[in-house]
Amino acid sequence: MSQTPYIYEDRRRSFLSCCYSFQEVLPGLLAMFFIAIFSNNLAGVPNPFTLENLFHYLDAVVGPINGQPLFQILNSNFVWNPFLLGLIIGNVFGVHDSWKRGLSYIHKLMPLGIIMLAPHFVFSHATKAGWAMILFALVIMVLTAQFTILLGRRMGVDDRHAGDIAGALATGDPHVTAILMPMLKAKGGQVINALACVLLFGLIASFLLPLIGRLVGMQDEAFGLLSILGIGNTGQMYNAAFGYSAAAGRWAHYLEPVRHVIMPAGFLYVFFVLFLRSRFNPDDQEIHATRPHKAVPLFVLIFILCWIIAQFHVFKEPAHLAIFEMVKWDFSLAAAALGLSLPLREIAQWGLRGFALTCVAGAVRIVVLVAAIMAAVHFNWLTF
Amino acid sequence: MERHPHTTDARGFNYMANSDQEEKDRDYVGIILALVIMTIITVCQYNGLL
Repeated sequence: MSQTPYIYEDRRRSFLSCCYSFQEVLPGLLAMFFIAIFSNNLAGVPNPFTLENLFHYLDAVVGPINGQPLFQILNSNFVWNPFLLGLIIGNVFGVHDSWKRGLSYIHKLMPLGIIMLAPHFVFSHATKAGWAMILFALVIMVLTAQFTILLGRRMGVDDRHAGDIAGALATGDPHVTAILMPMLKAKGGQVINALACVLLFGLIASFLLPLIGRLVGMQDEAFGLLSILGIGNTGQMYNAAFGYSAAAGRWAHYLEPVRHVIMPAGFLYVFFVLFLRSRFNPDDQEIHATRPHKAVPLFVLIFILCWIIAQFHVFKEPAHLAIFEMVKWDFSLAAAALGLSLPLREIAQWGLRGFALTCVAGAVRIVVLVAAIMAAVHFNWLTF
Repeated sequence: MERHPHTTDARGFNYMANSDQEEKDRDYVGIILALVIMTIITVCQYNGLL
């Protein structure tokens, strides 16, 4: 049977043409659906045989580490689980051609999920800690992102890869690599390599940080802040804080919303810095990040608008929780497609340079943070 | 051009490729779905249906 080469414009009738026909997309959508529902406990699906439940079971077998479940420290969540399952299926069994139209829905799910995340970040959730604390966290976040981007350039790391690492490291959430994927036009291998770099660094740092805290004699509340702003994911932050003391762990829980609510500012900062850099240097062949974007993508603008609206408590409880359940569905499906798309060599091909960048940038941030927090506490710039 | 085994089908459709008009159309669909879902859930909340 002869195959006509695929050209989208030839079949386009309206913007809905990107949804393709039902027969074309059904196999791929079902592949994503089944990977998603066997990965996570999703709203409306009473399936007990999920990877999430398996990890909960193993957590119970292994027992807590510093009061934290092991697989939380290792970043098991609604993005990581379906990605892992998709990666295994794709690399063991391959990806059937009939799935590929449906799997392309990842490009609809990404802007969809990013916009629906907006109600999750409400400033008033963190104001109990004080605006001085929010401002402090914001400055550290911006400095971390900028330093990582600059260092990545000096170290010869691809700017999409370095941007992903900068976003994840600065915001303290490895999944920002996935949020930045459509913004920076990063490759799937770069996204997962960056995620692994930030996770691995965070894992090491979460066990070393209590030693540093004891060495310099930090107070419990100051160490709680250090662990929130200095480490890679939530489980690792609490691992470090509770590894220091129970009081530091409680302070970490109290201060965690500060990091959380400013997270969009972190990934938007990385996006806009790299976008402007690519606009101002149109002939620089070394610049890849955001290059295909002729203007700021519409979904980024809509996200910013929804984020602003969310500050006025338009999305009340439990509407916010219901929207977040939809986000879990959305990213579960998208992560399944991403996992299926990646042969392992495409993750490995970006090498260890990204990990070196993460370690240097992360270590410098910890040193700066220790000094800044101790100075802030000493001079009463920050009160707990 | 070499065919990517995981993402490209026999007709050359690469599901991880996303550019030009197709990208814009996919973005529109994603944005509309997001706004519709958020609006429905929020309106349900305000009407006591959640």
